[in-house]
Amino acid sequence: MGKLTPADLDNMNKNSSGNAKDWIKVGMSSCGIAAGADEVFNFFVEEVSKRNLQIEIKRCGCAGMCYAEPLVEVSVEGLPSVTYGAVTKEVATKILEKHVISKMLVNDYIFDIDLDSQG
Amino acid sequence: MYAKVVLVKDTDLKREDRTREFYTRLLDCLRETNLHSQIQVVRVADIGIYDRGLVIKILPDKVTYANVQDTDIKRIVEALSEEKVVEELVFKPKAKQYRLVLRNCGKIDPENIDEYISNGGYLSLKKAVTELGQQKLIDEIKASGIRGRGGAGYPTWMKWNFAREVASDQKFVICNADEGDPGAYMDRSVLEGDPHSVIEGLAIAAFATGASKGYFYVRAEYPLAVERIEKAISQAYDYGLLGKDILGSSFSLDIEIRLGAGAFVCGEETALISSIEGKRGTPHPRPPYPSVKGLWGKPTVINNVETLANIPVIVSRGGKWFAQIGTQTSKGTKVFAVTGKVKNSGLVEIAMGASLRDIVIDICGGTLSGKPIKAVQTGGPSGGVIPERLLDTPVDYENLQKLGSIMGSGGMIVIDDEDCMVDIPKFYLGFCVEESCGKCAPCRIGGFQMLNYLKKISEGKGKPEDLGQLRRIAQAMQKASLCGLGQTASNPVLSTLKYFEEEYNEHILNKRCPAGKCSSLVTYSIISEKCKRCGLCFNNCPVKAISGDKEQGYSIAQDKCVKCGQCFEVCKFKAIDKK
Ligand SMILES: Cc1cc2nc3c(=O)[nH]c(=O)nc-3n(C[C@H](O)[C@H](O)[C@H](O)COP(=O)(O)O)c2cc1C
Ligand code: SF4
Ligand code: FES
Repeated sequence: MGKLTPADLDNMNKNSSGNAKDWIKVGMSSCGIAAGADEVFNFFVEEVSKRNLQIEIKRCGCAGMCYAEPLVEVSVEGLPSVTYGAVTKEVATKILEKHVISKMLVNDYIFDIDLDSQG
Repeated sequence: MYAKVVLVKDTDLKREDRTREFYTRLLDCLRETNLHSQIQVVRVADIGIYDRGLVIKILPDKVTYANVQDTDIKRIVEALSEEKVVEELVFKPKAKQYRLVLRNCGKIDPENIDEYISNGGYLSLKKAVTELGQQKLIDEIKASGIRGRGGAGYPTWMKWNFAREVASDQKFVICNADEGDPGAYMDRSVLEGDPHSVIEGLAIAAFATGASKGYFYVRAEYPLAVERIEKAISQAYDYGLLGKDILGSSFSLDIEIRLGAGAFVCGEETALISSIEGKRGTPHPRPPYPSVKGLWGKPTVINNVETLANIPVIVSRGGKWFAQIGTQTSKGTKVFAVTGKVKNSGLVEIAMGASLRDIVIDICGGTLSGKPIKAVQTGGPSGGVIPERLLDTPVDYENLQKLGSIMGSGGMIVIDDEDCMVDIPKFYLGFCVEESCGKCAPCRIGGFQMLNYLKKISEGKGKPEDLGQLRRIAQAMQKASLCGLGQTASNPVLSTLKYFEEEYNEHILNKRCPAGKCSSLVTYSIISEKCKRCGLCFNNCPVKAISGDKEQGYSIAQDKCVKCGQCFEVCKFKAIDKK
């Protein structure tokens, strides 16, 4: 896209809201990366394509819970959006198998839940 | 799929974690009532509430129960089956985080401008340029009451207004992302997590003052932040949100990044300006203030990262809305980086006026060890300690200053009884002495002298009159130093003297360090009743100060001991006494 006009900006703002697709976000700021977020991100990307899952893997900044890095937020339809902490490849596997595929929350790694997200 | 989710967590630190046990009981009870196929019970790692026994949260109902006893399980399950709430157990958390500055951090992809725009990004710049114009824009900032988040707390609108009023062929805006306080990393997180919000804030500042050139001054130690700002700037150029004729208007702005070499004093605004000019980064006397005569002698607005990240919110929601948040004199929110002996270290954003206790206990969960908090340090090397008994103080610029500390840029360190109140100021003062540019004598010489007194005291060689000397030198430094570094460097010493003088006296009179931190004043000895004669300490002492054998037991020769603490670390039976 080229240079925006004020009207373009309004349209981009309106159009993009509301498409609630399933996604996984990995916190990829310095603190997350130091704790291994890079590896977790790549693992998700590989596994999702291997297993042919319909879920988008995205990166985001640090939400502030540095004590629990790497942090991964998961939002799939029908479940509240949940932030898992101290995520390793093992935990990431559980997230895919249990949370994404079986639509159940994973025990022992939840550090935050967005109470206002769909439930 | 389940209709409801029940989260469980034992938040009692004083006992063995009962989360699993409770989880099983709850599951059993749900099974008996045949609810287990509709309700998922989940053990969570953190439920956001601390020291309230067993806590459960029910979704989507948003009901929270705390201090739940085993005997309550039955009625909780009954209430669940009848869609009711057990009112006596309901817990309403008091302290809440407030996400203005961190609104997008952890939510959007910082490397994707479209995500920023779809969350309302650059609409404030559009509003400023196409609707408000300079005067109304500055009026909004004035109405918001926002003050600088870089430490000094100067009203942002005044800076902007000064710069606007000066007629000049060229004006500048600078984002101060030097963030040199040890322990502080709020600005780094904002730059890494939401760089466009800061760019948008800087662009609005430029429009308000009539500047056509902007700089990001970022420490070179922040490579990821630099990379993300670079990307964000180039995306903004592609969209015509920077560059010539922004959004089709006549407003044009170019932004460049400058890397700071990491000297703490380069974060001071006049030193920072010299550094951008390619000169040595040393402070200059003010006035003239940069807003009148700054970079290359031109009017220059210099704002902190967090200040700028607030600007788009103020413009979009209005100054009045913003001014409802906070206290009489301090509006909006503040982000703190909470570290030290705290359970949940990380970034916390609260509305001004929340208490220190809200932050360190309710939000961060108190100490990791469950031990009581002794004090909280705010403001880094320019700030001071606030003792536990004053933790209910509402956080704002004036209150913290009254207590002998400062808001500072947002570092907050939780201190417990293993931290020494002579050692902490010694660390900060050492930092300032190291970082002093040496341009003025009060800071260069005074800091050095004060540090020597602290060293003496921590080695048990202090004299009672040293405390008076410390206070006298501190006063001279406050009055006569050229820049904020020297003017505030004594705050950590003065505030510990104010609240913890008895701890200084212990060092001076009784040659004792109550926290066991000052190594010269610590003695290690073996408690023979507890010693199992395993010999670990004997094998690990690097200077062979421990003698004896497995039959006779061991003892430490004080004249040989170098107080390294190895024996204390390795003993599995807590048989080494540290005093
Ligand atoms: C020694 C010293 C270091 C400073 N370091 C910083 C810094 O790292 N970041 C910052 O924003 N302000 C720093 N300041 C404050 C700046 O001089 C200036 O007040 C601030 O950038 C203005 O922005 P604000 O009004 O948005 O707070 C420092 C001041 C002193 C005296
Ligand atoms: S107060 Fe210290 S850092 Fe500031 S100008 Fe003087 S010597 Fe340099
Ligand atoms: S060395 Fe004494 S008990 Fe281990």
